[in-house]
Order: sequence, then structure tokens, then C-alpha cells
Amino acid sequence: MRRPGIRSLVGGAAGLTAGVIGGVALTSVSAAGPTPVSRAPALIDAAHVPRVLTLPGEPVRLRYAIVCTPRDDGLPCDGSGTVYIRAGRSGPYRALPLSRGDDSKEGRYFVDVPAPLANSADGFSYYAVLRDDHSGASISVPAGGADAPQVSVPLRDARSVSLGRHVFGAVRNPDANVAEASWGSGPQDLGLAGSRGLGFSGPSSFDVEPNGAVDVLDSVNGRVSRWAHGRREVIPLGAPAELADLAVDSDGSFDVLDAAGTLRSYDSQGKPKWAQKVADRTWVKLEHGRSGPVVLQQPSEQWMPAAENGAPLSRAEQARAAHAEKQLANGHEVLLERVGDTGLRLAEVRGGTPLRGWQITSETSLGEVQLAESQGNRIVVVARAYTDDRDEFEVLVLGSGGLAARFAVVSDSWTETAPLARFRLVRNALYRLRTTPAATFVDRFDLEVPQ
Amino acid sequence: MRRFIVMLGIGLALSATTGAQAYHRFWANCNDDAPTFMTTMTRDAAQDYANAARYEGYQWGGGCWNYDDADSYPNDPPEVTSTHGEGGDCSGLTFKTWRESTDTWRDGRYYWRALRNVHGPYTAASFRAGNGAPNHTVAKSTAGVMDAFASNTHIGMVFMRSLYGGDQIVEAKCEACGTNIFYRTYRSDSSYGGVGRWGWTG
Repeated sequence: MRRPGIRSLVGGAAGLTAGVIGGVALTSVSAAGPTPVSRAPALIDAAHVPRVLTLPGEPVRLRYAIVCTPRDDGLPCDGSGTVYIRAGRSGPYRALPLSRGDDSKEGRYFVDVPAPLANSADGFSYYAVLRDDHSGASISVPAGGADAPQVSVPLRDARSVSLGRHVFGAVRNPDANVAEASWGSGPQDLGLAGSRGLGFSGPSSFDVEPNGAVDVLDSVNGRVSRWAHGRREVIPLGAPAELADLAVDSDGSFDVLDAAGTLRSYDSQGKPKWAQKVADRTWVKLEHGRSGPVVLQQPSEQWMPAAENGAPLSRAEQARAAHAEKQLANGHEVLLERVGDTGLRLAEVRGGTPLRGWQITSETSLGEVQLAESQGNRIVVVARAYTDDRDEFEVLVLGSGGLAARFAVVSDSWTETAPLARFRLVRNALYRLRTTPAATFVDRFDLEVPQ
Repeated sequence: MRRFIVMLGIGLALSATTGAQAYHRFWANCNDDAPTFMTTMTRDAAQDYANAARYEGYQWGGGCWNYDDADSYPNDPPEVTSTHGEGGDCSGLTFKTWRESTDTWRDGRYYWRALRNVHGPYTAASFRAGNGAPNHTVAKSTAGVMDAFASNTHIGMVFMRSLYGGDQIVEAKCEACGTNIFYRTYRSDSSYGGVGRWGWTG
């Protein structure tokens, strides 16, 4: 082997030095990343809790939050807006300007609905156009505007249901455990992600098919696990789907709505069919309606169909087809409104006409309504009762005479799921997704069959 | 010359594999400007501020973002501060939105611009405990716009209550899901407590 000369060694050392310096310089340039953008582009957003069920003679105030580009002086935006409102669901709208209040804890901008409109026999419908007077940006709430306004229905002759104080610990055990899997990535497992520092997430949603097959969205492993006819089947999705929601159709095809608001449709074997963004910025729940997937969205606070006859709808089409009513299995619809911290109003409607209603009050705070679905001629509601350090689910079976049955079930959610994905009702059984440090379970509670 | 070129390549490769360089990224755009002391702080101005951080990503221990509606460095490994990516984490976003001081005994209002890289002294758990002069616990049933719900691992602020009883929550959620407004049920979840900021002026 020939010994290297001095010139060769110097050349090598120079090359090494130049390489390191050049590399550091290049990395520093790339580390600087994109040009900083310190000024926000003009943006506008909004929030509004609609008044979908009103009592006779009740004053109605509509409140809005208008959200704009942050100002350099740290003050809230110069907003304004107009509510367009009409009695019933047809005819011309009347414009009511929003007033600007001193406090924004429930929305700074408001209008009091004139009594003749608020007490109209057919209720009222309305939408708002909200503006940032500084930038000129505007937004319609709900997104469909005049084509798909928010509706408010009078709740007359409602049955009063007084729940009293919730007794924690008096819970019903399930009648059966229909699915169970331990944590892991094997074919029989369900995936677990997170840590003690971050919290844990596991299967984020589930559904039950009419034939009793149970489908669990194994979000971490990016697949659907199906329990059917005594067998386990795994359907890969191709990517994780953490905190996503799942709805399965009667033929086994299914839809997955991911955290970023993209709805993906698959056939029963997991072959992708289409993908579409939902219309609004925030989604609440995915369900299957009579003609395809529907998604409860915000700030519109409406159910929006995401597809029609198997074809996805554009975001504008979703907004134009939005409705406040949630479709029920019995062919009717339900309107639902949480009132204050301890109240809940429901009305079963058909074609916009109220059939019967319930006014529920509790001495214990009520959180989210996880489920409202028909069981024959009854409505089953699952709502969470909570204090600052305890929570359980109340299962209420509502009939024409009022409260037909009730029981409580433990919360038992060790991992985070999609927000309203803990319960499903299929025929005469209520199913619950439950996780513990050891495993995931799907439990079944058999309900009394209505006569 | 051949030896020079070979060693140049080795040098470039060595520099590229240096961990500190590989993760010295978005924070290079950030600054350490002083905050602006404010006499007012409204809940809707806080909504404006947190809303503008949407889509800007999530960074464990972070608190710096721009306003281009994109996470410049998504999908970093979780729970690693040295990745220096864009976005706040949950407590960093809350700290900046609530205009808090890095001194826990100060309860004044300090407006931090988006590109100011500051996380603040609080974790989700310390927010939950109501630690720090500007913070306090609240009954969950009374929490309103821009109050918060905190667990031992996470905190998110109430953007608005919702028809079905949950809340629209603005939060820096995770590397995979970034910062956004999500529908959550923290209010009724016993692992979460209610937290507020003293000093709202409207």
C-alpha cells in the first residue's frame, strides 16, 4: 500500500473541514425554514348555540361569538351582524341587527327575538350573517344560510321528566360482553397509543350491524376489527385514524371520519371508495342516515349529509342540505337541546311537525347527550351525569307517558375515544364501548321490548 | 483532489447526522421579544388569539407559531422538546392565550405575539391545580367561553358550549392532530377539572 503524501493528507483534511463547515451552513439555512409570517391573514369564524326547542311564552335571545384575526392592540374584533328570521319555515326573512354587549362569556353579540316570532305556532327559522368590520370578512351561520336555516320548534304539551339527584354507584351490569380484545398490534389485539404524560388513546369508535356483527375502529393499528358469526376479521385501512369516528352500513361497508374532518368511505372489505372534507370546521358525530353518512357539524350545529346515493357531496352541497333534526330509525326525527346545566329538551318530529316532547330536569349536572335513538315507539337517550369528580351515564327510555325506564352505567373510559362514540342502539339492545388498562370491551344491555 | 472530494463528502455526511443540527428548525424563526402589558383582556379577544393558532401544529414544550395555516414540521416524535417544531403544546397555548406572566406570582395581562417563543411555567397538571396567581379552579358546570378543562396530561379551552351538551374546545391536542377546535366531552369527564383565569374584562 502506497503511503499518502503530505499534499494528499492536507487535501483530505481540507476537504473534511470544508465538508463539515458546508454541511453546518446548509443545515442552518434549512433550519431557518419558511419565511416567518407574523401577521395573520384576514379570517373570521363564529360560534352560536341555536335555540331549537322553545317553551310557550319563553323569551328567546340568540347569542353569537364573532371570531376574527387577532389585533395588535389585543382588543376583540369590531364585529357586527344581522339575523334573518321568519315565522315557520317559509316566506321572506326579516332582518334584525345584532347588538354588541359588554360581556363575551356566552357570546358578545345578541338579538332578542320579537315575541310574535318567538311564540309563532310554527316556530321560527333563522340564520345570521356576521362581519368583521375591520377586514370586511363575513360568515354565515349556519353555513347554508337562507337555503338551510336553523329551526326552532315550540315544545308544547311536553312530558315533564324529573330525574332528581343522580345516585352514583347504583349502576347496572351488562347482560353480555359481545367483544373483547387486549392491547397490542397482533391480529386479535386492539392498538394502544400514548403515555402517562400524554394520556392514552385506543379504539376511538365502534358500530353494530343489524345482524349483530360488532365493528371496532382500531384507530392506532389503522384497521377495523369485526366480530361476526363467532369469527374475528381484520380490515386494514392503510393508516392510523386516531380519535376518528366510525359508522357501518347494513351491507358491511363503512365510513371513517378522521380528526381533521376528512370522511373516507370503504366497501365491506376495506377498499377505499371516496374521500371528502366535511363542510364545517368541527365535527361532532358521524351516523348513517337514510341515504348515506350524515355528520353533525359546528358552528352550524346541524346534521349535514356527506353523500347521496353513494356519491360524495361537495362542502357547499353538504351545507345546503343541512338540517337540525337527527333522523331516527323509526322514520321520524328528533330535535334535542341541552338547556342550562341540568335541563334537556327533546321533541320527536315528522316533516317538521312536533309529535310529542319531553322536558327533562335533573338535580345533578348533565353533560353531553351520547345517544338519542328510537326503539319502536320509544326514544332512548344516553346522557352523562357529572359532578366535579364523578361521572356516570344515565340511560333514559322515554315514552308517550313520560319516563318508561331508566338505569345508570359506569363511564369506564380509560382511553380517549371520539366524543360521541361510546354507545350504539340496535333494535332492542344498547351497546357500550369500554376500555380499561387491560383491554377493550363492547358490552350489551338488553332493553325491555316495547308493546 | 480525489481525497479532497471524498473527505468533503464525509464531512457533509457528518454534519448532516448531528442530532442538534437536525432538530434546530422552526424555532430559528422565533424571537424572545418582551410581551406587551395590557390593561384589558376579553374572552372574545382570547378566542381570536387561540383561533388563529389553528392548523399551526403542535410542539411538546413549545409556544411559537406563525400564521400560515400549516404545521411547518408535522409528525415529530411525541414528548420531545428538542424537535423545536412549530406550535404550542396544550399548556403553552393556554398560557399565551390567557396572557400570563412567566413569573407565577404576577397576575397581570401580558400579550405575547405568535412568534414569541414562550411556553410559560405551567403544565396541564399545574393548571388543573389552579397554580399561579392568575389561575384558579372553577366548577365545571359554570365554565364559559375561554375557561378551560384540565387533566393531569392535557388542557383545552372552551371555545363555545354546544347544542348536544359537549363543548367546542380549542386546544393543542397532539403531534398527529395539531392545534384546532374539536368537539370534546371534557366537561363531564371526571379526569378533568375546571380552570379559570382571573381578570377578564369583558
